[in-house]
Amino acid sequence: MGEVILTMKDIDKSFPGVHALDHVDLEIRKGEVLALMGENGAGKSTLMKVLTGIYTKDSGTITYEGKEVEFHNTKEAQDAGIVIVHQELNMLGHLTVAQNIFIGREFKKGIRIDDAKMNEEAAKLFKRMNIDIDPKETMSHLTVGRQQMCEIAKAISHEAKVIIFDEPSAALTETEIEELFKIINDLRSKGIGIVYISHRMDEIKKITDRVTVMRDGTYVGTLITKDSTKDDIINMMVGRVIYEDPKTHSTVPKDAPVVLKVDHLNAGKMVQDVSFELRKGEILGFSGLMGAGRTETARALFGADPVESGDIYINGKKVVIKSPQDAVKYGIGYLSEDRKRYGCVVQKSVAENTTLATLDSYTKGIFIDKKKEKEVAEKYVESLATKTPTVDQLVVNLSGGNQQKVVIAKWLTRDCDILIFDEPTRGIDVGAKNEIYKLMNQLAKEGKAIIMISSEMTEILRMSDRVAVMCEGKKTGELDISEATQENIMNLATREIE
Amino acid sequence: MGKIKENPFVKKVGFNRIVLFFVLLLLYGFFCVMTGGNFLGVGRILSALNYAYFLGFLSLGVTFVIATGGIDFSIGPVMFCCALISGYSLVSHGISMPVAIIISILVGFAFGLFNGYLVAYWTVPSFITSMASMNIAKGLASVFTKTQSVNWPQASAEGGWYRMIIKVGDIPVGLFIFLAVAVICAIILNKTKIGRYILCLGSNKEAVRLSGVDVKKWEMLAYIICGTLVGIGALFYVAAYTTVQPGYGDQYNNEAIAGCVMGGTSMAGGLASISGTVMGVFVIALLQEGILALGLDKNYQLIVTGIIVIVAVFGDVLSRRRKN
Amino acid sequence: MANKKNNVGVRKVSTIDRLGGQKFIVLLIVIVLFAFFSIMSPNFRKYTTMVSILDYSYYITLMAIGVAFPLMTAGVDLSIGTGLVCYSLVGGWLIAFQGWPTWAGMLVSVLFGIVIGILNGCLVAIMDLPPFLATLCTCMITRGLGSIIVGGFGISWPAVSADGGWFRKIFRIQMESGKVLPIGFLWIVLIVVFMTFVLNHTKVGRYTLAIGSNKEATRLSGVNVRFYHIFAYVISGFFAGLAAISYSAIFATVQPGTGAGFELEAIGGAIIGGVSMTGGMGSITGTLAGVFVICLLKTGLPFIGLTANWQQIITGLILIFSVLVDILKRKKEEK
Repeated sequence: MGEVILTMKDIDKSFPGVHALDHVDLEIRKGEVLALMGENGAGKSTLMKVLTGIYTKDSGTITYEGKEVEFHNTKEAQDAGIVIVHQELNMLGHLTVAQNIFIGREFKKGIRIDDAKMNEEAAKLFKRMNIDIDPKETMSHLTVGRQQMCEIAKAISHEAKVIIFDEPSAALTETEIEELFKIINDLRSKGIGIVYISHRMDEIKKITDRVTVMRDGTYVGTLITKDSTKDDIINMMVGRVIYEDPKTHSTVPKDAPVVLKVDHLNAGKMVQDVSFELRKGEILGFSGLMGAGRTETARALFGADPVESGDIYINGKKVVIKSPQDAVKYGIGYLSEDRKRYGCVVQKSVAENTTLATLDSYTKGIFIDKKKEKEVAEKYVESLATKTPTVDQLVVNLSGGNQQKVVIAKWLTRDCDILIFDEPTRGIDVGAKNEIYKLMNQLAKEGKAIIMISSEMTEILRMSDRVAVMCEGKKTGELDISEATQENIMNLATREIE
Repeated sequence: MGKIKENPFVKKVGFNRIVLFFVLLLLYGFFCVMTGGNFLGVGRILSALNYAYFLGFLSLGVTFVIATGGIDFSIGPVMFCCALISGYSLVSHGISMPVAIIISILVGFAFGLFNGYLVAYWTVPSFITSMASMNIAKGLASVFTKTQSVNWPQASAEGGWYRMIIKVGDIPVGLFIFLAVAVICAIILNKTKIGRYILCLGSNKEAVRLSGVDVKKWEMLAYIICGTLVGIGALFYVAAYTTVQPGYGDQYNNEAIAGCVMGGTSMAGGLASISGTVMGVFVIALLQEGILALGLDKNYQLIVTGIIVIVAVFGDVLSRRRKN
Repeated sequence: MANKKNNVGVRKVSTIDRLGGQKFIVLLIVIVLFAFFSIMSPNFRKYTTMVSILDYSYYITLMAIGVAFPLMTAGVDLSIGTGLVCYSLVGGWLIAFQGWPTWAGMLVSVLFGIVIGILNGCLVAIMDLPPFLATLCTCMITRGLGSIIVGGFGISWPAVSADGGWFRKIFRIQMESGKVLPIGFLWIVLIVVFMTFVLNHTKVGRYTLAIGSNKEATRLSGVNVRFYHIFAYVISGFFAGLAAISYSAIFATVQPGTGAGFELEAIGGAIIGGVSMTGGMGSITGTLAGVFVICLLKTGLPFIGLTANWQQIITGLILIFSVLVDILKRKKEEK
């Protein structure tokens, strides 16, 4: 076990309304791969962003190579030898591989950029990594996996002493992961300290030496990988927090009719062969870790993205959904996880957003009946208890919870029977959360069928009648709420795929 | 400053439009003083209005396109193309005046359809489509008229009644028609489904699509409205000046877009004001007339307009920066 | 797949792309057009026609090479057309009416172009105005300014026989036999070679492409994005200044109020030649080929009995066609 190269101690960081990091410790050693694990929102990414200078910490110390340091931007961190390989790639698609690797620090011969030398150096790097990429290839011609390798090469070229991999395997194929592991092993043997963020248990077991677990912005503990089991890690991740009144049994009547049946749905890599049924008055929770393909499934079902194959039945009848228009026609409403981008038109008023999906019902000829529009908007503001001074208020001025209510109102005016809530309470404060929950329960009681995608375990256990779990684009299991526990959900969500 | 903006009256009318109104008054006063009172009186104003009419139609049209977040700078040449094709048919092929009027509007409509279809259904950048249709409009007009300029009939000639759309005797009918069309545009933009969808999709196209709205159709419609208005604008151009020459029209793009942007329509889309556009157009028309009255040439007007637009747009950029 | 070592991890790329993509197609179009006109009309094949094609091509080519840079940053420069006329008017006015030597007039033309370029660059890169709107304003301003400075009259630069008319020989030399030697093309070739070098082998070119490809990622790599963003517009202004000189050298007089529309021929040429409107991609040789498509149409169509106006229509259609090809290709790649 190598010597310690970097220690983060008592790191504290708050955002307005959120205590993102609560006195977190982390220790990185030379020649070691440290796994950083935790549920979504546990604070892993925030901690790494503090380390690489993207965020500034509120308090705490970072000691690097025996000296206390503080980086103000990624460039400073890079120059010191701490590099992060991002999940989403920062690449310049039109430039070549070598040009990407050396952007901002080109080799020069007079005023001329020495591309030959850059190609040579890049080739050397790839040789060291033992992978075969042509440095002269245009970046956008490479597969995502290869692009990731280039990012890693860029990191190595910085003479990095600490390299952070933020969910590197998410976009990689089996063989590419093999390659990646070879490279990581090689880096480890050269004495570089590596942080590996991932949700995949099999990878953690295979490549890492120690596992540090975080939960809700706090440091939980560190285990030696080879001495611990998957269950140990999962127990640490979910903790022993007592969740607020979890549902103990399904409240859906046994004879409730199936309103939606999805049969072998395929849409790209993130939706593979997904099948499920949804019954009247039921809340079906979709659990899984980030990038499990839940949102993609919802978007495909809603016609927002093209479907490759699979059948959809509504009330027993087979339907073809090619666009959101079709989906809306069949009574499906979709509440996106990203409200500001996909949910509402924030620069427009509450009333305008409320009637966006149903404008035809509020027109006289081609004219909009503004009085009627206002009435219905006010009706929903009242029944959903949306906090807004008037319905003419622009949505951008409302809080997250109230924006969500406006989107809910939009679908309620449409009288949708099937509602897809994608992360319904993301970015919403606790009080408003409860209101949204109450609303969803009420809607279910009124006979709406609800699909709820959520990354919060509490939410899943509290709201769902049934829980479907996805992992890597596949549905890995389905549990009745009476048998669902944090442990068995997490087990399905991190299942190793053969 | 902040306080003024919070005033309910100011809020209702819009700060931008109040500023424009004062700019108009000040400009008028300025020209009156500078020309030693020469500028006073109906004559100058009527002449300024002649310029405002056709430009106003272009500006109103392009307001719809900019509201979707796009741009159309084929409007000037397309207007000339409308006037030339219908005028040439009128003069050389002997069609009747009403038919000529319909042809002009139809040509504008066709260009709008062409632009809109390519932008909405084929995702060609609006910049490129309008650049292409600008070339096509110029070429088409030149080919059709064999590069001859076209003289529409004088008021006294047969079929000259069309000039009455501008004025009958001393009554500026054109002003009433223009304002009436502007009111219709304002109603379409603010009170109908068409306008609602155009503004919403300009603001956030994806969210509107995910609400189950056929965004392509509505986006295309904005270009069609624009084209149709350009076709009407062509009639007002010939009613004021009778002579049209092929190969020109570019300069009116800039002025029409300038009028629209000055009036508070945001280049980022989603925010548009018809009354602002109307006032912006009046400012440009007044500038043009006033600078002529000062004995200066049109070039000063170009420079002043250019600077005003930079200031107006920079204001828009700043206010958006502050919000973020 | 595993056997073909070099192709591992590389997305399928069509043969045409390997040959240079759009550049290759455009070159084909140029050759086909040339062959077509040559076969259709014996007069087209004459030496004088070739010279006149070249004469018309200089100023468009120079503008196109310049504007390719803002285009590659995902911007545009609409001020080059009216700018060209403005710089030419001012330079010519200084020579003809103020008694300046020819070289000084030329220098002023180019410097004026650079100043407008800096102005455009600042409006776009520092004040964050949408490029097309900012340059639309400078388009109006240069159009007005040129006429005002020279007093609204057409300006003639010195004739070739007159004192100080030497500059016209930069582009065309009248030989004793009466034939014209289009020497300007030599300079164009040299400039194309040089700018290709700038684009592909210097920081200026590299960062221009990087900004157009992903401005934020470029900034995060520690590049002074603002400077290079402005520089792209300065290049455009500089070349508009050079174009002004070539325009003055070929045409007898320059009229104020003209120039609107020149920029569209240049931008059209660049885009047909494969410069991407969305930024990050383009080549100087492609731009040259794109301009020649336009120039060939312009000169060639009258030889087959169509007026030059058809050139505008066909240019418009080719423009849409070439962008559509690009869009369809990208859609296919996404699948």
